[in-house]
Amino acid sequence: MSSDNVIVKQKVDLKDAVAIAEKGTHCGMCRFDFLGSGVCPAGRKHGFLAYWPQGRMEIVQQLDSGRVKPTEKLKDIVDSCNLCGICDKQCNFTTQLRPEKVAKALKEYVDSLDPSEFQSVPEDNILQGLREIVGEEWATNDPVISSSYTMTILPPNSELNYYVVMPENTEQVSKIIKFANKNNVPYLPRSGGTAFSAAAPTVLAKGLSLEQGIVIDLYRLRNLEIHPESYTATVGAGITMFELQKEALSHKLRALAAEAGAHVCSNIITTGIISTWGNKYGAFADNFIDLTTVDDEGNIKKHSDWERNNPYATEPGFTNLNLTPPGIVTEAVVKLHPVFDDEEAVLVPFDNIRDAYRLLIKLGKRDVGLSLAVLSRKYLAEFLSPTLQISKDFDYVCKNYLKLNYVVAVICNKDDKKIVEGMADYTIDQSLMKSLILGAPRFSSLRDSEFMKILSEEEDPLKAIFAGPMRSHLEKALDPSPEQVSKVFDEDLQDFFKKVYSKPEMTDIVWLHAFRILPTRMMRQQMFMGPGASMWTGDEDHYLNWIQMFDDTGEKYNLEHSLGFISPLDHGKFAYMEYDYYYNHNDPDECDRISKSLIESMKKTLVMGKGLTILNYLYKGIYRKEHVLYPIPEAISEEEQELFDELIDTVLGD
Amino acid sequence: MVKFLSEEWIEIGKNYMLEQLDPVKDLRSISTSLLGVVEHIPPDGATMNFYLELEEGKLKDFIVNTGSTFEEKEAAYEIRGNYGTYKSVLQGEMSLGIAVLKNRLKVKGSKMAALKLIKPLDGVIVSLQEITDEFEE
Repeated sequence: MSSDNVIVKQKVDLKDAVAIAEKGTHCGMCRFDFLGSGVCPAGRKHGFLAYWPQGRMEIVQQLDSGRVKPTEKLKDIVDSCNLCGICDKQCNFTTQLRPEKVAKALKEYVDSLDPSEFQSVPEDNILQGLREIVGEEWATNDPVISSSYTMTILPPNSELNYYVVMPENTEQVSKIIKFANKNNVPYLPRSGGTAFSAAAPTVLAKGLSLEQGIVIDLYRLRNLEIHPESYTATVGAGITMFELQKEALSHKLRALAAEAGAHVCSNIITTGIISTWGNKYGAFADNFIDLTTVDDEGNIKKHSDWERNNPYATEPGFTNLNLTPPGIVTEAVVKLHPVFDDEEAVLVPFDNIRDAYRLLIKLGKRDVGLSLAVLSRKYLAEFLSPTLQISKDFDYVCKNYLKLNYVVAVICNKDDKKIVEGMADYTIDQSLMKSLILGAPRFSSLRDSEFMKILSEEEDPLKAIFAGPMRSHLEKALDPSPEQVSKVFDEDLQDFFKKVYSKPEMTDIVWLHAFRILPTRMMRQQMFMGPGASMWTGDEDHYLNWIQMFDDTGEKYNLEHSLGFISPLDHGKFAYMEYDYYYNHNDPDECDRISKSLIESMKKTLVMGKGLTILNYLYKGIYRKEHVLYPIPEAISEEEQELFDELIDTVLGD
Repeated sequence: MVKFLSEEWIEIGKNYMLEQLDPVKDLRSISTSLLGVVEHIPPDGATMNFYLELEEGKLKDFIVNTGSTFEEKEAAYEIRGNYGTYKSVLQGEMSLGIAVLKNRLKVKGSKMAALKLIKPLDGVIVSLQEITDEFEE
């Protein structure tokens, strides 16, 4: 029997929202203003990941799976979102997703719940202690908030037995660590979370994540000061590379550039800032003047403290693995570099890796250019294309018609440009790159066209297109314009993207290299794992054999795979290489194959020698490159292989 | 089943290891000594340590002390960590190896040499897991 005054609420189905949310890859681009569209006001105000678009996407999945139940805090989270649509603009640029639909569905879901369905979460002694340190607002044990950190610091299936705390200064970080130790509670710092998000669906998840305890979210450490007179910047742990770069550029200066969303301090301690600008600007400890760190006893130290033991050295050898950082960098004083008026981009196209590599290392050893890299065809296609399908077609055209498989990308001043042009038969200039960005949809639509078929019959299609009469035909066919490229976006966003693509920086290859907002497109609706290495360049065949090994491993496990980039460092004596395996993070079989390929390639690299894989320099970015890269590692012995196998079992088998 | 770091824990642990572990098969005939330092023991945050010595895979010494040092003998390795971490290891929630790699347990000396010990020490850890069921809260 029903009563008229009893309203039976129908729970809103989250299925459609989950379908969007599960394609998210936690890139974190919604947490800073890279398009000039503003940034999520709720996230900016409340800080906790749950209040950001990225966090709402995770919460929807966690609620739908039943891992977390609605709490009183969930109401506050949905109420904080005014559906302003900023997240749609940002996310659509990189991933073509619409997080606002997820936020709206979450609101409707919460509205549909009966008040009795919201759990209240009592404060316990640990939470009380944390709140005494940071203030009531900035510490929580709410499982909905904790759940939003899944895949960026928490493993997918742990019990949600966590606290999240957001300190605002180094002293608070120190107090939190002392408090955690005293109470025997594990902790782990979190910045952008993107490094872990690539590992989370793989076997590495357990080793690198926090199994229970305190998540120290460093977002509130947002000090950023530029010191033009000393060419330095003081950067708090909550500052992204984009934010630093933007502020530096306003003083006509530039920082060594990691991905736009990478947090400067955590990037330094994790792997050091790996960048195409490293040959000129340095690597590992070259990039900072000083660090403020908090060690695992809660002691605050500076690298510049003259009394302390050498903070720049670390034990050499392949067993020196670390799955957590040696401390928390709360603030860094980083080096900045001058921006020159005559900087330009020049790209040299190649059909084969050997010739591209040879030119790159030659330029690196001669210290030509500011930014130097071999970029693969796949990178070019992903970066320049506004949608996933366009990137696939772009890649197809480059591969099958142009035989454009690699470019040596150089950012340099005009004197160095002459040197590069003198070493190459033909180059791609800034003007043509601009056309490729604004004409990417047309370029990709040329697959199966007569124009491309004719071009592919040329003896040297690259020369014909970049240095011959076909160039003007191509530019005409591309019809490059902001209007044209904006048409591939959802109709309601086209005006916005027309304005975005009209901004000079969006087609300025120098700016794009420095601000690195495009690499996140590699993570659009799929994940990638880039088991790279830093390798000695003294033996060209050996270097190229490493690349071949990664290629063979990708084939063996039937993964979409490609070289990402190669970039020299230390005057061309070493070069970073990133080899990428792409996978669907929602497909358990693909995740399993990714895991196997990682382990296998890791083992093979040690047997090959003369290089350090990313696992070997993980959490060593605060040390001098001379201590990390030297002695150049030799291939390990059979006995050492056994030990490494045991180590890998330890990392994975817990 | 006994309480971690109690006198009983030592006695039963000794007997268990002597009776249950094969020096060659389980402990790979290793000769080494290790000082485990346990910090922040509830309720008052005290520090204790245990000294364990193996000779050709046979348990030679297993002693518990208060404080962070053991004056009588010098251990080849020192592993230091808080009570919660040791508890996680002894409850089987975390392996010794991953505790070291996650820096929850800090090894004094060469990490390479210490990690070489982890496999042979598996038997000791399993033994201690078998006998330990009570912890300070």
